[in-house]
Amino acid sequence: MKTRMFSVLCQNVPGVMMRISRSFTRRQINLDSITVGIEPSGLARVILTFKADDRMAEFMRRILARAEPIIDVEVIDPERSIVREIALLKTKKLDEEQLWKVVQKVESAGGKILEDKGNVLIIELSGSHEHIENVVRELGPEILKEVARSGQVLISRETI
Amino acid sequence: MVEMTGAKALFEALKAEGVKDIFGIPGGAIIPVYDALYDETDIHHILTRHEQAAAHAADGYARATGRPGVCFTTSGPGATNLTTGILNAYMDSSPVVAISGQMPNSVLGSDAFQEADMLSIMLPITKHNFIIRKVVDLPAIIRLAFKTATTGRPGPVHIDLPKDVQVSKADLKIPAEVNYQKVIKLDPNPEDIRKAVKMLVDAEQPVIYAGGGVIISSASAEVVTLAELLGAPVVTSLMGKGVIPEDHPLALGMLGMHGRMAANIAVSECDVLLGVGVRFSDRATGDVRHFASRAKIIHIDIDQVELGKNVRVDLPIVGDAKRALAEIIKGLKLQVKHGRTSAWLQKVKKMREELAPRMDYDEVPIKPQRVIKEIMSVLNDDAIIVTEVGQCQMWAAHFYVVKKPRHFISSGGLGTMGFGFPASMGVKVARPECDVVNIAGDGSFLMNSQELATVVENKINVVSCIFNNRYLGMVKQWQDLFYQKRRSGVYLGKVPDFVKLAEAYGAWGDRASRPSEIAPKLREALKCGKPAVLDIPIDPDEHVLPMVPSGGRLDEPILT
Ligand SMILES: Cc1cc2nc3c(=O)[nH]c(=O)nc-3n(C[C@H](O)[C@H](O)[C@H](O)COP(=O)(O)OP(=O)(O)OC[C@H]3O[C@@H](n4cnc5c(N)ncnc54)[C@H](O)[C@@H]3O)c2cc1C
Ligand SMILES: Cc1ncc(C[n+]2csc(CCOP(=O)(O)OP(=O)(O)O)c2C)c(N)n1
Ligand SMILES: [Mg+2]
Repeated sequence: MKTRMFSVLCQNVPGVMMRISRSFTRRQINLDSITVGIEPSGLARVILTFKADDRMAEFMRRILARAEPIIDVEVIDPERSIVREIALLKTKKLDEEQLWKVVQKVESAGGKILEDKGNVLIIELSGSHEHIENVVRELGPEILKEVARSGQVLISRETI
Repeated sequence: MVEMTGAKALFEALKAEGVKDIFGIPGGAIIPVYDALYDETDIHHILTRHEQAAAHAADGYARATGRPGVCFTTSGPGATNLTTGILNAYMDSSPVVAISGQMPNSVLGSDAFQEADMLSIMLPITKHNFIIRKVVDLPAIIRLAFKTATTGRPGPVHIDLPKDVQVSKADLKIPAEVNYQKVIKLDPNPEDIRKAVKMLVDAEQPVIYAGGGVIISSASAEVVTLAELLGAPVVTSLMGKGVIPEDHPLALGMLGMHGRMAANIAVSECDVLLGVGVRFSDRATGDVRHFASRAKIIHIDIDQVELGKNVRVDLPIVGDAKRALAEIIKGLKLQVKHGRTSAWLQKVKKMREELAPRMDYDEVPIKPQRVIKEIMSVLNDDAIIVTEVGQCQMWAAHFYVVKKPRHFISSGGLGTMGFGFPASMGVKVARPECDVVNIAGDGSFLMNSQELATVVENKINVVSCIFNNRYLGMVKQWQDLFYQKRRSGVYLGKVPDFVKLAEAYGAWGDRASRPSEIAPKLREALKCGKPAVLDIPIDPDEHVLPMVPSGGRLDEPILT
């Protein structure tokens, strides 16, 4: 099933996140990622990613668009948007050899080492969802102790 | 701006909405509102005996008029008692505005006495719901609630009103305009209308399938005009009963699981099906793969979500039923001659006559079909029929010939036993000039029979005809047909004596045990000047037939 992205503009009122998330739960769809930000206008922008076939995706678009506090549902074409995710990674206590490997890996992945205390690293990484998945997988549970991820945020490339 | 309390402002806003009647039960968390009610001379409060009944009464009121019905409860158990009634209204797109007291803002979330998280509980079962945190927001939210309940596809709205908001004072003004931001598309696309006209003109065997949305949209006249213009028979959903006078030569009655044979055959054979204000519910369609399988389907609905949800649709049209039908009629008038006669119309006429269900049974115990016949013989076209749920409901749906919209009121989507009696109370309050008769099952009636107290105390003279089979009959029917007659948990026993039950509350009660007694006793019940209960022992073995089994094909019903 295809991964879908919706960008939902809604009033910033009590219960709005619950309204959105339960409409997916009820149709047995898992939200892979959900992020919220407040727009300059004071409205909330919620970005959702989930998996669904074409028919269900369109149905969910209509369900969301119908909800009273929702103003607009935009179906995101990742090709025409910039999509990013941020991850913060904490390692276990590493030996010298592991340390060397991780530093190289982080560098080649365009990440930053934020802290290094007694051979425990804290790393910042940003990029596409897949990019972060790959790095996390490559480092693996041998190395990583904790992973905190932002979920996906995006902005459309349209200029108008 | 005038300084007033939240409670006072609530009534000012309700009066601005034209509210005259409110059903409810007070409690600690809503006393300030009831205190303000004490001074209101233009608002009539009906104290029900259960909050579920208040919700159903408000729902009945709304369905009879198209205007929102209103109910009040306290917090906690008062508010949770509303839920079945609110969901019932939601499933049938009925505009109910429910207002519950809530614990003060300062203690919310602390498991305070009678605190229930109503925002979360009501959220999935309302069209929309609010909690009013600050008194300054109250006037706008109340008006927005009414606007939301009645705009586009109607539905219930719940408002949670913390006690501190009820008592705090502020300079308040009821806004004249409501800041409603949703855009509802009422006018259909002209291109879609052109396509629809073409499909209908080209159709040889068209059928119109009309439902609750036509009643909401007040588009009955358009349905009849279109049917006559096209020479197309009309089938309705349960919710659409009364859209077309059911004695009209083109009316084939209800379709679906317990629909009329003629309606189900017409849908199965049609080549174009125009669905309007319907949601193609599973009870109406049976097996969707075989539903109208020879037809191109046009579907007009105000709610985009419904288009293509349950069946494939060849031409979806978003818009208001009345406007869309008017446009189609305009387009058609240019193209077809009035009163086309065709083989299809001959067939429809023949089916209508030959497949008309039989009702003239003389047996004792009485056959339910005969009871419906007798009730029809007594009531005029303005009488409003309300039903409970079960076999009684389906006998009413299948046999009762309804002549007008909003004159057949039934729990369709949720199938809530205990709806009919309190709903009939709401209907009678809204339409006191009409005879209001609740067609009840014995099981359903007992789910809200405490409202006998309410109708007697408030002189709400409704009549309940109890189809007394001593069973949860519809469940028994499924057990008889699909579970080898293993009747499990469905026998209701010998009590109560419904005549004595009525009398205990000071209502009129009597029993009709032979067919010939029904009409005279019903006339007496209608004239007695009190609420009335007519107990009618019926044949407990009678099934509602024909029946399309769940998920079965409309053209393959069980006949005996
Ligand atoms: C025991 C039992 C048996 C039942 N058996 C049957 C049966 O045999 N046959 C049957 O039909 N039903 C049956 N029902 C009822 C069934 O469950 C549904 O409630 C019913 O079929 C729905 O009716 P509807 O399609 O008219 O939709 P409704 O629930 O009335 O919905 C109205 C539709 O109209 C739309 N609408 C609202 N306003 C407008 C407007 N202004 N313009 C355009 N569209 C609008 C709404 O968006 C919605 O799609 C049964 C129920 C019970 C309890
Ligand atoms: C609140 C509720 N509980 C259970 C059901 C399941 N149910 C559907 S019909 C029915 C039997 C109704 O019995 P009665 O009111 O006597 O009507 P009858 O079918 O006998 O005419 C039951 C239990 C329901 N629809 N609603
Ligand atoms: Mg019964």
